[in-house]
Amino acid sequence: MNNSPISPITPPGFASIAPVEQPARDKLDLAGSFRHALEEAHAAENTSTHAAEQFAKGDPGMGIHEVMIASEKANISLRYATTLKNKALEAYRELMNTQV
Amino acid sequence: MSSMDFFTAMEVSASGLSAERTRMNIAASNLANAQTTQAAGGGPYKRRDVILSAVDAPGAQGTPFAQQVKGVVVSQIAQDAAPPRLEYDPGHPQANAQGYVAYPNINPVEEMVDMITASRAYEAGITTMTTAVNMAERALGIGR
Repeated sequence: MNNSPISPITPPGFASIAPVEQPARDKLDLAGSFRHALEEAHAAENTSTHAAEQFAKGDPGMGIHEVMIASEKANISLRYATTLKNKALEAYRELMNTQV
Repeated sequence: MSSMDFFTAMEVSASGLSAERTRMNIAASNLANAQTTQAAGGGPYKRRDVILSAVDAPGAQGTPFAQQVKGVVVSQIAQDAAPPRLEYDPGHPQANAQGYVAYPNINPVEEMVDMITASRAYEAGITTMTTAVNMAERALGIGR
């Protein structure tokens, strides 16, 4: 008995659909975004230190709330960076534990 | 820093806090000078009023509806044009020819109300800020 191979089913008009152009995406891997977040946290930390210094110097334009806000921003930015780092490490460990 | 969206709310609240601080300073100035009969430019101290205006929020660029998010600034400190309060006190060194002394057009009760309004608005700004920070922290806790 001669079994002919089953020809693949092609839905009508499938070939006529042009492939969707994928927009060029930024090459942003986890390490890159972590570096970016760390830079941002560093900048926020600098702003916070600067604000505290200005306040200590008696700059009339620098209120208590501005100092507190700057330090809170630095705090959030750093926690964001830390969270990204934890996620990246988690993903790395997950991959290293892959059973082969 | 447009990537940190919650920072926009913080910036807006911060602008509100600064405005309320100025309002508080002006209320303090008005209260302190309620009896000041001599000010720069002659005549008694004139009551000051804070004019607030909405401006584009700092750091909102690139966030959704950035144009609709507005911060606040003190655009002007206006002087109250109401006439001074005249009090009959012929013995006062600043009394005019008719024996009247011109005192500032300040009602301390009104100033206290302004002050408490500023204080409450400041509190509201702090609450907004705390909520924004809490939201950011909640977001950071996703998946933990």
